[in-house]
Amino acid sequence: MKKSVYKSAMSHLKTSENFQEATYNKLMKHKETMNMELSKKRKVIGWTVGIAACAALAVGIITLNQDAPASTPSSQPTTSVMTKPPTMGKMAVNIDGIISEVCEDGKSFKVGELWVDVTDQTKLGSSEPTAAKPSDELLQKKFEVGDIVSGYTSQDVSTGKVTADVIYNLIAPEKEDEAQDSEAKPAVQGKVAVNIDGVISEVSEDGNSFKVGDLWVTVTQETKMGIDGPTTAAPSEELLQKEFKVGNIVSGFTTDDVSTGKVNATNIYNNMAPQQ
Amino acid sequence: MYNSFELNESVRRALDLYSPSLIRIAFAYLKNTADAEEVAQDVFLAYLQKRPVFDNGEHEKAWLIRATMNRSKNMLKAGWFRSRNPVPEDLSYLPKEESDVLQAVLALDKKYRIPIHLHYYEGYSIQEIATILEAKPATVGTWMARGRAILKEKIGGIEDEEVCL
Repeated sequence: MKKSVYKSAMSHLKTSENFQEATYNKLMKHKETMNMELSKKRKVIGWTVGIAACAALAVGIITLNQDAPASTPSSQPTTSVMTKPPTMGKMAVNIDGIISEVCEDGKSFKVGELWVDVTDQTKLGSSEPTAAKPSDELLQKKFEVGDIVSGYTSQDVSTGKVTADVIYNLIAPEKEDEAQDSEAKPAVQGKVAVNIDGVISEVSEDGNSFKVGDLWVTVTQETKMGIDGPTTAAPSEELLQKEFKVGNIVSGFTTDDVSTGKVNATNIYNNMAPQQ
Repeated sequence: MYNSFELNESVRRALDLYSPSLIRIAFAYLKNTADAEEVAQDVFLAYLQKRPVFDNGEHEKAWLIRATMNRSKNMLKAGWFRSRNPVPEDLSYLPKEESDVLQAVLALDKKYRIPIHLHYYEGYSIQEIATILEAKPATVGTWMARGRAILKEKIGGIEDEEVCL
């Protein structure tokens, strides 16, 4: 066989005229598709990782806060989880509520569903530098049912029994009648007193009422006469006459409402005849 | 590793340099130009996807030839390929002598046909063909001698032509 004939025959073999161009275009198209798929894949991976991270974070937050107290104040005993800075890596759970049960030895009490032991290791009162010294009122020595207690423990509350690390306050509840009294009376009591001070312009027929300015003042058996005080002198006839007369200078006060134009005198200090 | 521009350039250069050879090697296996071109395209696609790094041009060509041979063999094994009855490639456009020689070579058994193609068209030595076909050089020499003998019976040949090992 002649080498040249076979090589020539193969060289003359007809192939597609645009094979190279068509192949190149096809390859570039495929490359673009590959890049798009890669980009999509990266995007999907990115989203997946992001969502997974968010989910893990959410689960972590929920796990840490599932025992957190309600945001509104409540008298119900509650326990809350408080995280210390991450470097410490230790959790503290608040003990905060009303004692519902006290152990016989008086060293354990129940708040909500949690039994709390108070040992020698338990600190009583706040040791913060600016904290005031705990008073007996705020930190009673004996745990009793109904006392309001606050503090915290670093132990696992899921066991249902922990030892308190610190007890900040142990406050006895207010007595019921005290509470009622304090509710019935306003915190600050006050009554308006209006001075009666001036010259009598008119006197009633019975002599028990007189007019000062536009105000009619009645002197009753309830009306105190004179000034009663440890240092005051006994009222003289001159300064406190028995009979109210037109022209007399009178002074005292009333706690009645003066807007009615007629009041009862609470106290009459003086009832003096005008100087001649 | 190539960057995008280098890869594009590398593919284009390989296409220019090696696509005629790859199509003809595939043709030597498949005896059909369209199938041969499909195989060659697959090879360049693999080149793009795998981004192989070569020591030199010869290394690159050897990798492409090896890939073409493997894909051609796979196509031959494929059920759809074996079950079809293709129309024989029309080689009437070739001069009669060339057509006869080509038809005679394509009629040879595959194990004789490929070494003969690699030697007479690509110009590889028996040693190089042995490396490409992962066979012993002596075996390759035997295949070529037998193939040439068959061709000699059919179309005649150069009497003094010998295969150098």
